[in-house]
Amino acid sequence: MTRRNRFGGDSADDANSAGSANAAGNAKSAGDADSTAASARGQTGRSPFSAMHTGPGRALTAVYGVFALSATARAGYQLIREFDVAPIAYSLSAFAAVIYILATVCLVIGNRVSHRIAVAACAIEFLGVIVVGILSHTHPEDFAKPSVWSNFGSGYGYIPLLLPLIGLWWLLRVGRRASRG
Amino acid sequence: MWPTKLVSVFTVFTIVLYAATGILTLWSIVETIRNRPAGKALLGGAALLLLLLIVQLIISIATFGSTHDVDPLLYFGYIITAIMVMALAGFWAFAELSRWGPGVLAAAGLTVIVMIERLDQIWQ
Repeated sequence: MTRRNRFGGDSADDANSAGSANAAGNAKSAGDADSTAASARGQTGRSPFSAMHTGPGRALTAVYGVFALSATARAGYQLIREFDVAPIAYSLSAFAAVIYILATVCLVIGNRVSHRIAVAACAIEFLGVIVVGILSHTHPEDFAKPSVWSNFGSGYGYIPLLLPLIGLWWLLRVGRRASRG
Repeated sequence: MWPTKLVSVFTVFTIVLYAATGILTLWSIVETIRNRPAGKALLGGAALLLLLLIVQLIISIATFGSTHDVDPLLYFGYIITAIMVMALAGFWAFAELSRWGPGVLAAAGLTVIVMIERLDQIWQ
């Protein structure tokens, strides 16, 4: 019973439907790709830049959301209870949490501007994890307490190192597809 | 006497939580690989795990006063975040009609396993 789609349809990934929407959008002028793709799907307010059209994109957004939530909760605790212990590390935690929230929101909105903001957010995340990772080895006294980005994100299973790369790869893929034609 | 009894209930319950989350995560990974959307059984499993986490919250509220000094903000911050992650992932998997519904559940399950481990560390 549970093998089937709950709504009686096939369980195929819906990447195809998004692909055809973009193909329809590309057939017309690229001037207003947003509205053509939206009308091709019979929907309004959707843009080809949004990660929400395809299953893997939604999964990526969900993982970003989970990470944003847990990073925010941890940073909130650190700021409230023990900010004085390691102000640099904990300020970075808070900054990282804000960037993760920003990336999540921009992945969902998916217009041209939010796409650029999401790319910038992912790039900052990647730079942050690399720079803080190096600094936490060269200046361990400033990073006595763990932040999300310390030791290349080892405290979080290296997810902070991998997530921005996956995010950037996805954003560039979606951007290329949306601007083609 | 009863507080000590509750504390041992707490230890057993942590093991139950580990088992439930582990099974749900593995099941979700299998369903993702098999390219299935989250079925009723899997969603029921996610709901059951959510219920177990809420029971854990209630048990820890009941036993909190009887234990050593654990920072309540840290402890309850973690458990409430875990409940929120599981609730959101469950809703997400319900709305998602592709293999990535179980995929999101698997990611959330891994996160919750880490959180249960942290909760256990904080408690001891």
